Formats: sequence, C-alpha cells, structure tokens
Amino acid sequence: MWTAGGYKDITVETQVLIIGGGTTGTGIARDLSLRGISCILIDKKDINAGASGANHGLLHSGARYILKDSETAVECRQESLLLKRLAPQCMEDTGGLFVALPEDDNAYIARFPELCRKYGIFCKPVDAAQALHMEPCLAPDVKAVFAVQDAVVDPFRLSLDNAANAQKNGTRILRNIQVEGFISHKGIIQAARVRDTRTGDTFHIGALQVVNATGAWADKVAAMAGAHISMLYSKGTLLITQSRINTRVINRLRPASDADILVPGGTVSIIGTTSMEIDNLDDIRPTMDEVDTIIRQGAVMVPALATTRYIRAYAGVRPLVKNGREKGRTISRNYTLKNHEADGLQNFVTITGGKLTTYRLMAEKTADIVAGRLKNTKPCETAQLPLPPSRKGEWTEPGRSPRTWAARPKDTLICECEMVSESMVDRIVETLLAEGNSPTLEEVGRRSRIGKGPCQGTFCSFRLAAYLYHTGNLDKKQGFFQIKAFVNERWKGLMPLVRDKELARLEMQEAFLCGLFNMEVDP
Amino acid sequence: MRPVQYGSGSVNPTHLHTGLAVVGSGMAGMAAAIFAYNRGISFVQVGQASELSFSSGCLDLFSILPGRFPKVFADPFVGIDALTKKMPHHPYSRVTRSLIREAFADFTDFMESAGIYYYGPKQKDQNTWENQHIITPAGTLKPTWQVPATMHAGSLAIARNQRICIVDIKGLKGFGARQMAQTLQPQLPCVTGATIAFPGRETVKDLMCERLAWDLENPKILAQFISLLKPHADRVDVLGLPAILGMYRFEKLHRTLELALKKPVFEIPTLSPSVTGMRMKEAFLKKITDLGAHHFPVAVSDIVPDKDGFRFFVTQGLQTIEIRAENLVLATGRFMGRGLGVREEQVKEMLFDLPVTQPETRAGWLCPDFFDPAGHPVNQAGIETDDWFRPLGSTGSVFHPRLYAAGSILAHQDWKREKSGAGIAIASAFKAVSHIAGNTPVRRSEMR
Repeated sequence: MWTAGGYKDITVETQVLIIGGGTTGTGIARDLSLRGISCILIDKKDINAGASGANHGLLHSGARYILKDSETAVECRQESLLLKRLAPQCMEDTGGLFVALPEDDNAYIARFPELCRKYGIFCKPVDAAQALHMEPCLAPDVKAVFAVQDAVVDPFRLSLDNAANAQKNGTRILRNIQVEGFISHKGIIQAARVRDTRTGDTFHIGALQVVNATGAWADKVAAMAGAHISMLYSKGTLLITQSRINTRVINRLRPASDADILVPGGTVSIIGTTSMEIDNLDDIRPTMDEVDTIIRQGAVMVPALATTRYIRAYAGVRPLVKNGREKGRTISRNYTLKNHEADGLQNFVTITGGKLTTYRLMAEKTADIVAGRLKNTKPCETAQLPLPPSRKGEWTEPGRSPRTWAARPKDTLICECEMVSESMVDRIVETLLAEGNSPTLEEVGRRSRIGKGPCQGTFCSFRLAAYLYHTGNLDKKQGFFQIKAFVNERWKGLMPLVRDKELARLEMQEAFLCGLFNMEVDP
Repeated sequence: MRPVQYGSGSVNPTHLHTGLAVVGSGMAGMAAAIFAYNRGISFVQVGQASELSFSSGCLDLFSILPGRFPKVFADPFVGIDALTKKMPHHPYSRVTRSLIREAFADFTDFMESAGIYYYGPKQKDQNTWENQHIITPAGTLKPTWQVPATMHAGSLAIARNQRICIVDIKGLKGFGARQMAQTLQPQLPCVTGATIAFPGRETVKDLMCERLAWDLENPKILAQFISLLKPHADRVDVLGLPAILGMYRFEKLHRTLELALKKPVFEIPTLSPSVTGMRMKEAFLKKITDLGAHHFPVAVSDIVPDKDGFRFFVTQGLQTIEIRAENLVLATGRFMGRGLGVREEQVKEMLFDLPVTQPETRAGWLCPDFFDPAGHPVNQAGIETDDWFRPLGSTGSVFHPRLYAAGSILAHQDWKREKSGAGIAIASAFKAVSHIAGNTPVRRSEMR
C-alpha cells in the first residue's frame, strides 16, 4: 500500500478515488469493488445530482443513433439487452415506437429499417392505424411507424443500487465532498485536496489511482490535475406531464431535434429534450423559451402535449467532448475515455460523455485501465452478475410508496401527495447515516418521491423537517435553510411552467412561506 | 338601518334589491360587509370558498419594504410613509393614518361582538406603536399588528424574552416543537420544546388540528390535556401550543387552561387548515347571518353593469335569485380567489375584464429565486383605481361610478412580502364603503 509520505494531514487513504457520483461513477465503483479493489467515491453534492438525475430515463435500443453514430447505436443495442436482464428492478420494458409525420423526410424514413437491420437493431414496421390503436395519443396523421425495443430506466434507482452494491463490497461513499486540487509528484497524483461543502472542513484523500467521472465538470477536474479536455456543455431541458400519456417510448423518426422523445415512467410521461450550448455550469435551469419550444414541437407528434398540465421542468448538461469543429447535436454521443498519459499523468483517467444506456460498458472500460495499472487481473463481472436491488433505491419509483403505505395505513404520512410515510423516511435516513453524515431534505427528496407531487414541497418540506428535528437528524437552523433550498430547487422546475393555475399554486405557497412564515427575511 | 330580514323560509324571493353587493368572501369581502353593516347600508355578500381558512387569524398592517435590501419597520406607519414614497401608487397611498386606525377599530369592534378579541400593537410612547411578533411553525418570528387573545401571551413573552416551552402533539404533522425551538435559538435562547400524546388519540398517526379543537371542547378530554401540560408549564414562564383550543368556545377554553396551569398560554397558528383562520370565518359568518344579512356562498360569473348599478344571478339550491345592487365592491382576490386569471399569457381581471397593470410579458412575471427579497413582479400586477378605490377602465377614467375594489386585487402591492394583507383589505374596503355611504341615501333593502 502506498503511504502518505510527507503529507501529514492526509486523513483517508484508498486504492482508487472516484470523483463523481453519477451513474458512471457508481458503476465504476461497483465494477472495481467486484474486482476486489478498494475505492472511495466522492461527489460534491449527491448521487445523481448532475446529468444522471436529469435525463429522460430512456434505455435506448440504439435506433436513434444509426445514422450518425453507428458505434453508439451498436453499444446501446448490446447494453440495453444486457441491462434489461441484469437490473430488471430499474427497468420498465415498455418497448418503443419511431413515428414519422407528414413533414418528415421520406428518404430518412426509407433508410431507417435498412440501417437498423445493418446494425442488428430490432425494428418492425407498424401500420399507422395499428399504431394509433397502440398509442391513441399519437397525431392522427402519422405516416410511418416502426416498433423498437426501447425501455424505461429509473436512473436514481440504478445509481443507488450500484452504489449500494459497491458499498457492500467495501467502497466508501462520501457525499458533499468537493475536490479542490491534487498533490502530485513527477506525474503521479498522490492525493486529492477536498472540502466538505457542508462543514467547510478540508482534508486529503490519498489514492493510487484517480478516476474523473464528473460528467460536465470533467474538464475542470482534469485541469486541476494538469490535463486539458476541450468540452462543450449542451443543456437539455425536459418536461414532466401530470399523468402518463403513453405506454411505450415514442421517438420522432427524424434526425435528432428538439422535443422528439416522449418517455413514459410510472405515473407520468417525460417530453424532451432541447440542446442548447451554455458557457457555465453554475446555474443550470430550464427556461420559459425552452419549455415553450418543447411544448410546441412535442405537440406535433403528440397533440395532447399542447393541453396537458405539467408538473415540472428540469435540465441537465450533456458533457460533449470536442474533437474538431463539430457543434451541439452533431458531436458524437459516444463516450470519451482518456488515460491522460499524453498529458504526462500516470494514474489519472477521465471518463465522460456517453449515454445512460452504455454506463456499464463505460464503467467496464474505465475499470479495465485502472485495474490494469494496479496489476489486478480479475476480469470484469458486471456483464454477468445481476445488479442486486437495494434498500437505498427502493423508494424512488413513482407509485411504489402509495402501494406500500396502503398495505400499512397506520404509518404516518409525511408527504400526502406521493404517500411517503415516516417509516420509509426512517429507512432512507438509515442508508444516508451509514454513509457517515446526516441527511438533508434534498437528499431524502432525491431518494423518495417527497416534493415531487402537486404541492411541490409546500407542506411536505415542513413535515419532513419537523420529523427530522424530532428524530434528532436536524439541528439548530439547518432545517430553515434546507427548507429554503428544497423549495428553491423545486421552484427551478416550476418557474418556467407558470401560466395560469400555477400562479394560484405559487400564491398559496408564497402566502405560507413568506406571508405567514416570513422566511424570505433571514432573521 | 340593517340588512333586510326574512322569516325563516316563508319568503321566497326571486329578486333582491340592495344597496351594495360585496363580491368575495376573503378578508376584504368580510371587511366590506362589516363596514356596510356598521354604516347601515343594505348589502348582500357572494363568494365561493374563502381563503380565510388559511389565515393565521392575526391582522397584519405593514412591516417590510421589499427590495434588494428589504427594510424592516418596527412602526408600520413609519414604514408606510417610506413605502408610499417609493411606491406612489400603492393602495396605502390613498389612505391616511387616521383612516387606517378607524378602519381597524371598526373591524375589531365587530369581531369582538362576534367573539374574537384582538390585542393591538405595543405602544412605545404617546405617538409610537410597534408591531408585535408571533412564533410560526417554521421557527421564525413574524411581525403583525393585532393578534387574537389566544395568541397574545406569545407576543408578550417574545418581547420580554421569557422562558417559553412549545409543546407539540404526537401525530400532528408539520408542527415540530423541537424544530421551532432549535430554529429560534439565536433570537430566543429561552425557548424549549416538548411533546405530548393527545388524550384518547395516543396512537393515532395522522391528527388534524380541527379534530383536536373539537375534542378539547369536551371537559373530560380538556382535564386530561391539562394534566399532561402541567409538568411542562411548571418549569417555564409561558406555554405555547398549536392552535387547537376549540373552534367556538376558544376564549373560555384558553382562560380555563391558563387558570389551571397558572401560566400564560398562547396558540401558534398551524399550516392549513388553520383553526385560527377557521374561527375567524365561522365567527364572522355566524354573526352576519344572525344579523340577517344575505351571504351566498357561490361564485358569480356574469355581472351586468348599467346606469342603476349592477345586475346578476345567484343560485341557491333550486332557487335562482336576481340581485340588483346599486354599488359593488370587487373583493375577489388574486389568482387563488380567481379575481385574476390568465388568458393568452396576459393577466386578466375575471369579472369585468378591467385593465390589469402587469409586467410586459410572461417572462417578466417571476424571479429565479423563489425567496428573492424584491418579490416576484407578477405579485404587483392588479387593477388601478382612483382615490376612492374605484377601478379605472381602459380609457383611464373610472370604469363605473359605483364599482369599487378592495384587497389583494389592487395593483402595486405585494402583501405577502410587505405583511400587509389584512391592512390593505381593511383600509381599502373602509374607504370604498365610506364613499358609498356618502353617496347612497340609506334605505332598506327591498324585495319584489
């Protein structure tokens, strides 16, 4: 084992430090831990706080990428089939459709089945009348439809289950830990200088290998290590409908554009996305313009999208790595894996880009490099071993808490919209405490449906705070600030949607939080 | 002169002629009805559900001038001077100090006759009064002008920095004594929290304040409740409880509790539904119905203004009544009360389609920070009026000589941030009704 050498204040040591708690980072932690390698995974916020928690939750069959990105298409095909088998608890195998409208390009429509065949992607023509019967929400003038093997994935559950399995195999997961720099010597990183964003404490994590799995932040973290990555941040915005509109994933049959995928999930549907280049990652939020574009464009394919009510909008950033002059949607969606040897770094790797669907493969390829450098010869097992369902991820699924609560209705409800009870919160808190620090409202919210129903946190954030104080998990004024943060996080997703009824909801929420509680004036 | 009175059910009116129609039954509608009653103007009140059930039961006047650096005023009148200087079209710029005082006195006198006693502000010296504070379930202090008697011991205890014990109840959600005590620590270090189980409902997991308020009207339950509170009361100066001390006999219950515990006791308003708000609504409705006034708890949509006043229909059960009113007070509220709505991304006034002052586009309605200290611009949208609170039409002159508006529908105010909701409602209703009284020969309502 490597020793701390001259650094007196190193407090933690590990074989591999993984930076970034998204799907890729947690996937890498699981992969390495299955090979018997000890890891620490840190995230500056929380599991899936970045793009992993702000996407469609679509398990691509690969058909979307056949024209521009055949490599990604083939990987999606292979990985989606694998994941449906190995992590069924995170999937809803809905199937999918590709639909073309009168204005869509006939040449592209004609090539679609041909290309699918070429790359081995299942694709079956569906007669338009039959398609309208299968998905009555479709625009009546669809001119061509193909069935594909798309599915829906719960990205929160996926990452939480990966994290839980990694923890079981010895990985330590630390939330709210941000990297501030690296200490290296002759091209070898010896430790990362990190800060606990809640307490402000700084310490060092000593590691033999460092993995940068920070998604859109990959260039910044790489820069701290002295390596350059040229990235482009592409913001994608999505909208959640109040009820589920479709049974299968519906894709627009045209080269990728705005609002051409409608993904069902539990009790809702999600329409997106947009692609907008942004310069900085500080305040990623959906805008009114994007929301209006999505609704206008989406309604061409599914007319109900023009009139349905939306619960919330959200935005994530696609980390696209530039190789030349490409822009936005034309940049490959394939992943980027850099060993940084050309940068003179011997124990640092960056993995970014790619798709949620191919996260496992990305983790495998990254873990191969890291394990090889550690002279560990155990092969990757994640393509064979099922991903065990965990307690961490059990409450993220819409509809699960109401069913559970109905079986035991004596349990006090904290969130009445989504029926999350005290005992469910207890179990979430337990898994958070096991990671070494106390839970926040946002963290409990991310692991459950709290705040995601119609009240958007007006009542449940208070009840949750009161309960966490009662159980000794909150102290002093923590709850006050956390309620404000929780409400503002929900507000990000609500503000661009505000039209009519939402103004009444805002008025009520503000009447309580400001009118009665005076929370905007920090005493 | 009093509102007309019918024998119970013997008269079957289909037309009702009245001096004033009050449309809306929130704070402003209630105030307008009270002032009309006090001035002997015959009136009917219409309006569906009321937001009063969400109210804390306190009467705010003014405390905070919103802005990038919000300014907190201890003396609301000093604050109002600063406010009207900065916002010359604010509703408060159309009323004087003495009008506000008179309006509050009229309002609270009526509420006293309905059974709710209010305690006014702290008097600093001969001409200075200061807002009092109440503890909220968020563990914050909120400034207000007048508090109901059951809450008064709390604001005194805050002012004197006494030892307070807040007691919460197992199963009553969103009211956490520990949360409040911990959050209040920096301001009120002498606050502690405790938890008791409610007698007879020890194992119930989901308690409603309203249910507990009914329970406490039972003397047996009250006695048990008192014995559970006793040990907590003994170690402090003042005891704070969630507002559950009865729905109707709250004054008596409150006194009984204080005598038995030998300590002052105060209520803390809860999240909705709030018992303190419901009491206000119930007391008002009972009193006004006892006085024989017409209150139709229905929404109206078509009101026809003409040279004699206003005509509209209300349906009660199987009966449809045509109402002819000489004057009308629009107290329909904002988006929750449906006084305002949105069509084609423009804020609209829903009954008369009065012009609404508002941000140019929808993109300008809201701030990215929910708690932005300046407040969301859309909250200042509303209708313009003349000095008597008569709405202006599209030409800029009075829309109808006998149409008035009161309360939160008025433009250029942000009551939630200013803590001025009750004050604006009461003051604007008072001025409007005074004008009506000045212009209307007082006479009885007539039935035809």
